[in-house]
Amino acid sequence: MTLTVNNPNNIWEIGGKTLNSRLLIGSALYPSPAHMEEAIRASEAEIVTVSLRRQSAKQNAGNSFWNIIKSLNVQVLPNTAGCHSAKEAITTAQMAREVFGTHWIKLEVIGDQYNLQPDPFETVKAAEVLIKEGFEVFPYTTDDLVVAKRLADVGCKIIMPWGSMIGSGKGLMNPMNLKAIRQAFPELKLIIDAGIGKPSHAVQAMELGYDGILLNSAVALAQDPIKMAAGFKYAVEAGRLAYEAGVMQEREFASPSTPTVGTPFWHQFK
Amino acid sequence: MITVSINGERKEIKEGLNIKELIKALGYTTSGFAIAINTTFVPIAKYLETIIKAGDEIDILAPVQGG
Repeated sequence: MTLTVNNPNNIWEIGGKTLNSRLLIGSALYPSPAHMEEAIRASEAEIVTVSLRRQSAKQNAGNSFWNIIKSLNVQVLPNTAGCHSAKEAITTAQMAREVFGTHWIKLEVIGDQYNLQPDPFETVKAAEVLIKEGFEVFPYTTDDLVVAKRLADVGCKIIMPWGSMIGSGKGLMNPMNLKAIRQAFPELKLIIDAGIGKPSHAVQAMELGYDGILLNSAVALAQDPIKMAAGFKYAVEAGRLAYEAGVMQEREFASPSTPTVGTPFWHQFK
Repeated sequence: MITVSINGERKEIKEGLNIKELIKALGYTTSGFAIAINTTFVPIAKYLETIIKAGDEIDILAPVQGG
């Protein structure tokens, strides 16, 4: 059996879309637009996050960034980055729906400017309104089980707990909490969003049974973003295959893997 | 003339402009942006009927890179 990213076993569904890749990638922080474009291609990600910012008429003329993204033929996932209240996030989501032509929204409501920790109260409030307005909400949250429950209660089908702080590259701060969320919500799509720094972090998250990984800095800030994008593609696939295969039980003792029967140089009588 | 805030900057504009007239006056020639007034989204369908008032805070947002 050949296992590739295009293996039919890897096909999955999120937000009504059928996808091959379980890697979601950001479009920010690359050394150049060409690096961004090539890294996204190398990642084989089919979902790319984008954002909205104030632009003058001059800046907006012929928006080259948006033209590149459109040429990649990917599903865009606009975010509400920088919003600090439910009201701001709801308005940004409505604006994004008009500009990007999608009802998907990565809901980010920041509660602390220092560590960019999401505000769970405003996030839940915004999620409830947006779901009623027909959005497919991808809420960025912490690894708090109760917050995940509240988001599910208001109708979120997708939840995106952080691995660690945005842009920190520290990996999974609290795998036990993430595991608990996975076990509590087998029916929801769970994506690790933020904090992933290297492919081994992505493998670890996927081995926990998470459905996908959303990252940006880990690729964009790598010395070779394009090669790192490919690295993450394989890491996400490896982690998923490991989860589906079922990881062996850990043991507290050594156990030889080579058969002991027929061990040479052992004799009953010496 | 009335004073409004456009993308965080104070500007003097003609009184009585609707949004369509405002964006033309500001020089926006392409689509691919969305507008909010006083943190409330204004869809394209309401550009003609929405008249800018003194003190309005107008945000004009367009696609950028995001994580």
